Amino acid sequence: MKKTPVIFGLVFPVILFICLCTGRYPIDPGQVAGLLLAPLGVENRFFSAPPDMMMVFWNVRVPRIILSVFVGAGISTAGAVFQALFRNPLAAPDILGVTQGAGFGAALVILFLSPLALVIQTSAFGFGILAVALAYILASLSRDSSPSVLVISGIVISAVFQAGLSFIMYMANPYDQLIQIIFWTMGSFNTASWVKVRAAVPLLFSGILLITAFSWRLNLMTQGEEDARSMGIHVARWRIFYVLVSTLMVACSVTAVGNVAWIGLIVPHIARYLAGSEHRRLIPMTAILGGLFLMIMDTVARSLMLSEIPISIVTSIFGAPFLGYLVVSAGKARFSHEPQY
Amino acid sequence: MNLSIENISAGYGGIPVISHIDLSVAPGRICALMGRNGSGKTTLLRCINGLLPLLEGRVRVLGRDIRDLGRDKIARMISVVPQVSFSPFTFSCLDMVLMAGAARIKAWSAPSEKEKQKALDAMAETGIGHMADRAFNTLSGGERQLVMLARGLFQDTPIMLLDEPNSHLDFANQHKIMALMQSLARKRKMTVLVTLHDPNLTHYYCDDVILIHEGGVRARGETGKTLTDEVLSCVLGNNIECDMTRKGVFVVVPKFNPVHMNEKVNL
Repeated sequence: MKKTPVIFGLVFPVILFICLCTGRYPIDPGQVAGLLLAPLGVENRFFSAPPDMMMVFWNVRVPRIILSVFVGAGISTAGAVFQALFRNPLAAPDILGVTQGAGFGAALVILFLSPLALVIQTSAFGFGILAVALAYILASLSRDSSPSVLVISGIVISAVFQAGLSFIMYMANPYDQLIQIIFWTMGSFNTASWVKVRAAVPLLFSGILLITAFSWRLNLMTQGEEDARSMGIHVARWRIFYVLVSTLMVACSVTAVGNVAWIGLIVPHIARYLAGSEHRRLIPMTAILGGLFLMIMDTVARSLMLSEIPISIVTSIFGAPFLGYLVVSAGKARFSHEPQY
Repeated sequence: MNLSIENISAGYGGIPVISHIDLSVAPGRICALMGRNGSGKTTLLRCINGLLPLLEGRVRVLGRDIRDLGRDKIARMISVVPQVSFSPFTFSCLDMVLMAGAARIKAWSAPSEKEKQKALDAMAETGIGHMADRAFNTLSGGERQLVMLARGLFQDTPIMLLDEPNSHLDFANQHKIMALMQSLARKRKMTVLVTLHDPNLTHYYCDDVILIHEGGVRARGETGKTLTDEVLSCVLGNNIECDMTRKGVFVVVPKFNPVHMNEKVNL
């Protein structure tokens, strides 16, 4: 926990500032400072921003960065919650099918209805929630109430929606619809706007706050159903609460920017190395790191090449080897300290 | 009586595993549940803790029917020390113990400093005060069991259920855990119900014993009077003999061992 204020107080603002400067339309640090101070009414004698720079900075870059921070924080927090609920460090926030459901919903609308962003997003959100609800209903039909049944139900529902998505892609016009579907499923912040920020950020922020407030109970959820019940927790009710809040966060993120791979799986692991497994410390660390990580990845995605790289490609390229490095380095350290029996 | 069980039957998929069991345990006493594997000991503990619905009968805890109580209320009355303890994530021992305070701690809150001190006291009581910051998953089986016991004590309930607490322990740690339970039961006036396989440990440390055979109670009573050759042979399924050593120590052994009887062993 000692590291959280350091990351939040020092590293985060510095990286945020660098990300604000970086892009295909580079802006000097002094210009960024001027642009940030201008709305506060602070006169900047050394700099006056040209209108196109003002437009790029305030209407494109700032909302994009805000969205990437909150989407990163939301998906990562949801990942930490799902890993605790399913007692599985490999659980990802889309384990119950929310991403596949949202992808299917978006593709369905692109193919049959309208390419309008609002319609696509509404459909993606609705189908994302529907997928998780179906996974829950399927699991409830079993007499076994263990989380593994819910995971298997999630796999079944994910497979069905994934098959549906593949079929739609097969049917889609390869010159416009297919490209739109592929780009949507790989995720991108290139359509970020203040409208999206206003739609997604309040929900993501509320979700992160709620999970943080009830984070200590997640410790008990990692202890197995009977142990948690013996210690006074109504496990089924709390599982619904955590799944609902996390699913809303993931659905909201996927709706806003499409699928963002890996982040929900790896960021909680990185946070665990820094803050430990205790969820009162882990959840805030995960949210901050998730926001930081996706902000950097999106800056790379929009700056590395002339054309923008889908965000999932960047998060996978940078995230997976980094997790591998952490596992190997921490493994060496852990084995050298473990007592031999 | 802190705990009384009236004519309960319970099982899985409608098939009873235990039938028509009655028992009651007074405060400050340790009662052992003995029986073969699959005889229904753990099923009985799950019924007492309200984790398994009863097919018939009633469990009363401090005079109240367990079915009328929510999980948080049950957790204020009954603590459980599980048979196997594993955590998929690396928590410190103190964090593991603190979890047992969930019934007292508000849902949006975390353990206060007072609760942390209470948890440290429980750890000190079980002799693991120095392990508060150690990672639970790096401990040996015996140390983990002591952490689980400290967790049960921190839960601070009048009744404690222990499910084969010695299953992974070496000889010394088995006696350490049982001696600790005995002294804590006396000191805290707790009702302790423990499932055991070793009749020697039962005789040394438990006040009462209930022997379960084929889902029903075969014998019950004070340990010294109940553990006899006939009862143990019937319940544990071997030809068992209870005897006294020359130093006056009660021992339970199989009556004969084919390996020892034959001087020549053909491998």
